[in-house]
This record gives sequence, structure tokens and C-alpha cells, in this order.
Amino acid sequence: MSEALAAVAVALADDELVIGHRHSEWTGLAPHIEEDVAFSSIAQDEIGHAAALYTLAGAIVGRNPDALALGRDPSEYRNAVLCERPNGDWAYTLARHWLYDTAEDVRLEALARSADDALRALATKMRREERYHLLHAGTWLERVAQGPVEGRTRIAEALARAYRDALALFEPLEREEEAVRAGWLPDASTELRSRFAQRATGQLDRLGLPTDIGAVADEAAEFVASSSGDLLAAGPAPPEPAVASGGGGRRGRHSADFEALWEEMTRTYRVSPGATW
Amino acid sequence: MTQVRADDRIAARVWEALAHVADPEIPAVSVIDMGMVERVDVAGGRVRVVVLPTFTGCPAVPQIEADVARAAQAVEGVVEARVEMSFDPPWTTDRITPDGRRRLRDFGLAPPEDGVPVLIASIGLPDRARCPFCGSRATRAESMFGPTPCRAVFYCDACRNPFEQFKPV
Repeated sequence: MSEALAAVAVALADDELVIGHRHSEWTGLAPHIEEDVAFSSIAQDEIGHAAALYTLAGAIVGRNPDALALGRDPSEYRNAVLCERPNGDWAYTLARHWLYDTAEDVRLEALARSADDALRALATKMRREERYHLLHAGTWLERVAQGPVEGRTRIAEALARAYRDALALFEPLEREEEAVRAGWLPDASTELRSRFAQRATGQLDRLGLPTDIGAVADEAAEFVASSSGDLLAAGPAPPEPAVASGGGGRRGRHSADFEALWEEMTRTYRVSPGATW
Repeated sequence: MTQVRADDRIAARVWEALAHVADPEIPAVSVIDMGMVERVDVAGGRVRVVVLPTFTGCPAVPQIEADVARAAQAVEGVVEARVEMSFDPPWTTDRITPDGRRRLRDFGLAPPEDGVPVLIASIGLPDRARCPFCGSRATRAESMFGPTPCRAVFYCDACRNPFEQFKPV
């Protein structure tokens, strides 16, 4: 039964680990020193959160947190596809960072009401630290939105590119119904997704950035909502959102970019499991 | 009754011993100064220490866990010492003691400002810091990210020194 709780923790840990790995790719390469330090520090926070979530899940399923983090095959990871997308340019990096951290705040706000004591405490703790990530992403978005037209155009394009992937952060998690019933996950993913969409488009509107990405969003939301409805009803299986449009991560479907990331991220562990330094 | 009194004495000695366990990254302060020790339970000489990590991703946590266990184990009368890391309640910068704040300042690290509430819901810039070198408040936040997860980078316009602040959480 409480394996549903472990499944929730692992999916969220996978998000944190994979996006943390992407953020860490800016170490030494960011446009200026403050951003180099900022992305390195944010990466360290995210990977720290992943470690705490893997520890929570590992205590339930009887697995070592390192083995959960680095000892699984790519198809066993449950991170959303958004997290594994390559960093691309600075505009995409910022757009993804902002969307991810906005979504995470919506999710943590819910988990801070979890019926599970350990998850509730961890979510409360994480949220206090994540505040700095939101502040960082929000400051950048505002600066670019109020800046010259090239920056505005590029950030708007990047947001449009990342938005559908971001909605797929709220694809139903494995064994979610059990977790919702037990109160471990106080709100269902569909509910969190509309809360996120509302908050994200509201803030973009205030910044004067295009919100017609919301049209794509509504369409995608509609699609996912009706497919989960179909799942409950007897009938042919609905088509699943493709990895290309950001879906499938919660069921272990990943892009080719994830394979490459996994290769690098798990190499040391695979060469020498249990290595310490 | 005698056992209870003996356990109480052991607990008091453990608290005292932990006041000498330094934060590995900021050796000027102890885990007690930082408010990281939530409780010390003793039953029949068996000790359980509950420690709250400051930042979740702090790489010093395993070191702190080992140092606390070693210090508790060395206390007279202790049969066994166990350390539990917990996020319940969450550690916040409000837990840093007045002594801890003074020692941070002497170390050259601005403590989080007293009386500045850390609201989770508001995403305001916690940009208030007093320069640990000259005491001026004419300072500005350069970056909320520094060399460790718990440090922000500030600049003092009065004495023209960059300095770091222990980030309020």
C-alpha cells in the first residue's frame, strides 16, 4: 500500500535529479560568473532534494538511495520529459527554469498538507529553499520581459516551446489514485495542473508576455483530462501523449536526450557501484 | 528513579559536549549555536540525538552526523549513541541562537537579520544585511547564490567590501 507513497516520492526525486543535472551543465559555462554560481547552487539544492526524497522512498521499498538515484535503467525513471530537455540557449534555460519552479511550488504547496508526516515535513522544508529558485527565475523573466525586443521575442518563443512539456509535469503519477485516497497526495495532478496553468499564464500576462501559449495549454489539458477519463471507462485505450509533446515521462517513456544524460549521470555508479570519495 | 536521574545527568552532559561540535563549513559556530539539535533522549544510558539539517542539500550533513555521534558516544555514562537526521520540524534561520549570530558576525559572515520574517508565500528579496566588517546597513544583495547553498553574496557601500550572508530560510 505505502508503495504508492514511494512511487510518488521517486517520480518527484527523478524530476529533481534530472533537472539538477541539467542545471549543473552550466557550471563553468554560464554567460557570467553570478549565473555560473547560481545554476551550480540551484543544481546542488535540487540534487539534495532528490537525495532526501530517494531516502524517504528507499526506507519504504528497502532500497539504498544511491541505488534508486543511479542504479536503474532509463525506462525505470519517472521524471517528466521537460526535465531532460537539453539546456539549449539561455532563453530556453530561463523559460524551463521558471516553468519548472512555478510548477514545483504548486506541487509543494499541496504536499505540505500531505497525510504522511515525513513527506509533509520534507515538502515544507524544500519549499523554504525553493523560494530562492523562484525568486531567481522570476527576476530574470521580469528583466528580459522589460528589456529590448530581441530578448522579449526569444523568451516568448522559449516559453511557448516549453509550456506543453511543463503541463506534462502533471501527468498522473503511478499509483496516484491510491496516494490521493490515502491523503499522501492531497490534490490530484489534474487539479494541480489547472492551478499551475492559471498561475503561469496570470504572471505572464502581468509581465506583458504572450499568454496565447495558454491556447496550446488548454488543448493539451483537455487531451490529458479526457484520456484519464477514458481510462476509467471501459473501452479502447486512449492514445497516449507522445514524448515529442512532453508526455510519457511518468510512465518511463523518455526522449533520446535522456539516454545520453543517463549515460553520463550514472557512469561512475555503473563502473563502480558503492564508490565513495 | 535513580536511573532517571542518571539519564538526566547524561543528557545534560551530551548537550554540553555538542556545544563543542563545530559546523564543518563554519567552524566558528557549533551545532548548538546553529540550533540544529532538536532533542537529546536518554534511556538507560542509550542516547538518541535528533539533528535538523540546515539546508537539505548541504554536503556537510554526513560529516555533522558522524561528529555528533562521536561526541555523544564519548560522554561519560553513554552506552550507545544514535543520531537521527530529521526535517520535522524544518530547520529555519530563526533557530540560530544570539551567541551563534555573534559568532557568525565575528567569523565575517552576516547573520540573517533579526526580526525580518521569512514568509514562505511572499517572494520578496530578503535583501537586508548588516555588514559584518563595518556594521553599516548600506549594503545590497549582489546574488542570492554563493559558494555554498546557505550563503548569499552582498556588497557594502560604506566600507566597499564584498561579504557573505547566511541566507534566511
